[in-house]
Amino acid sequence: MKKSGAGYSRKIQMWPYLFALPFVLSYLIFQLFPVGYSFFLSLFDWNGVSDREFIGLKNYSDLLFHDPLFWKSLRNTITIMMLAIPLTIGIGLLLAQLTFQLVKGKRFFQTAIFTPYITTPVAIGFIFSYMFDWQSGILNTILTKIGVLAEPYYWLQTPFTAQCIIALMFVWKNFGYFMTIYLAGMTAIPQDVYEAAKMDGSSSVNTFFKITLPLLKNISIFLIVTTIITGFQLFDEPKLLYGGWGANTIGGPDNAALTVIWKFVDNSFISDSRMGYGSAMAYMLFIFIVIFSLISYRVTSGKADK
Amino acid sequence: MKIISRSFLIILTILSLFPFYLMIVMSTHYNEDLFQGIPLLPGSYMFENFTTVLKSNFVQVYSNSLIVSIGSVVAGVLFSVLIGFAIAKYQFRFKKALNYFIVITMMVPTQVGLIGYITEMRVLGLGNTLWPIILIWFAFPFGAFFMTQFMRDTIPDEVIECARIDGCTEPRILFQIVFPIIKSGLVTLSILIFVWSWNNYLLPLITINDSRWYTIPVFISNLGIVHRTDYAARMAALTMTTIPLLIIFILGSKTFIKGVTAGAVKG
Repeated sequence: MKKSGAGYSRKIQMWPYLFALPFVLSYLIFQLFPVGYSFFLSLFDWNGVSDREFIGLKNYSDLLFHDPLFWKSLRNTITIMMLAIPLTIGIGLLLAQLTFQLVKGKRFFQTAIFTPYITTPVAIGFIFSYMFDWQSGILNTILTKIGVLAEPYYWLQTPFTAQCIIALMFVWKNFGYFMTIYLAGMTAIPQDVYEAAKMDGSSSVNTFFKITLPLLKNISIFLIVTTIITGFQLFDEPKLLYGGWGANTIGGPDNAALTVIWKFVDNSFISDSRMGYGSAMAYMLFIFIVIFSLISYRVTSGKADK
Repeated sequence: MKIISRSFLIILTILSLFPFYLMIVMSTHYNEDLFQGIPLLPGSYMFENFTTVLKSNFVQVYSNSLIVSIGSVVAGVLFSVLIGFAIAKYQFRFKKALNYFIVITMMVPTQVGLIGYITEMRVLGLGNTLWPIILIWFAFPFGAFFMTQFMRDTIPDEVIECARIDGCTEPRILFQIVFPIIKSGLVTLSILIFVWSWNNYLLPLITINDSRWYTIPVFISNLGIVHRTDYAARMAALTMTTIPLLIIFILGSKTFIKGVTAGAVKG
């Protein structure tokens, strides 16, 4: 950026600091301090009320070596993400491509497709649990009527289909968001690139894979990395699909729907109040998030270089 | 090819809207009828369901949610704009450091500090109030990042220079000259923060035990479990919850997509 000349008096110099101050102060007080304080708490055995007892790294070793449910919840979270992310990317990209070319009704389709993203998770959880209900759910009713199933299937009570349904909730909620972000990227591509391709006789499918997709590489990386970060924090969907309606069951069938954050919330606030243990779990999750987002960044940005 | 892609688009649009439709239709039926089969057409029990909801403390809860979301939007957007303006349009010593600071803070999930945050709030005497779910938005790294990107690209340096030469003070430049230019960015960020805080479920779930201070998501997930499980009433409550969001979004959708385009991701 260019210098702003001699008019940059001392009086002006103080303003950027003043402007940045509210954000920085709020961050220190409401985010950074709690993060540090959580680490401190993770070294203690504490139920939130009574005296704290210092136990060093025992919470961490308990979590990693004596709590198979933690690993299971981590596996569940990763499985759900592996099911959901590629599908969301694919659908989002395709939708962006299709609505981008529309002449008529562009805004209608884009708005309609984005609406799931703004829906309250409570509504999504309930609607999905209703649609997949074994007795009165729409899916079973249709499938038995057309004869695909002889009798209703327990979608929500079978571990793998339960994970698929949570992945589906994620896909349904997010494909509009992915579409919007991809649209943002597509608008930034200069149109003459496409005209040149057309002149050279490139088919539209060919243009899409050879030109559009590579030019959207950075957007794809952005989406994959940020989705992995938020995907590890998956909580609302599984929780509201199973335990959100007053019943305090956790985890779904055979704990297949138990995500790390659900376990964290349950251990720290609902079934138990092991604050130190919960803090340790949050930190472990953070470490996994950092590792996985670095790996995914490496993989996605490396592959496209070849 | 065109038919295939067109029908794909239409099917996904229907899939996007179908659950809403289902939600509204279900809110018009008598609860026990919902278990007999799929209601695809509206029933006639809507008024009673809405009355059931309004007889609970839904109005109180609704205003709680409004207070939280409006408070979050005002503080979140304002602080993001302030720091974004500083980084995008000034030369100063910590400019680069602040820029990195925002990018790094975006990577840290709020959940990591959740227990520390709740403990801090209790010590400050703010447990069981609406404060914890508003204060969390005061420093919203994504917003700061978004506004920095947005302002860097949309505000010409000359406009600021001219205003300065005319003797405009820095805050006046920001509020009277810059604000109108970045309107679509403001709308976009406001919609996002409003939606996210309106739908926030985890934080109110664990910070608020007093039903007087419930927000909508926590309230609905507890609604009607005392006497019988009234799904129809819940659907009515959810309809009332979702419709304002839909209206806000539809009104702002044109600006919204433009705003995301200009600010969110620059390859």
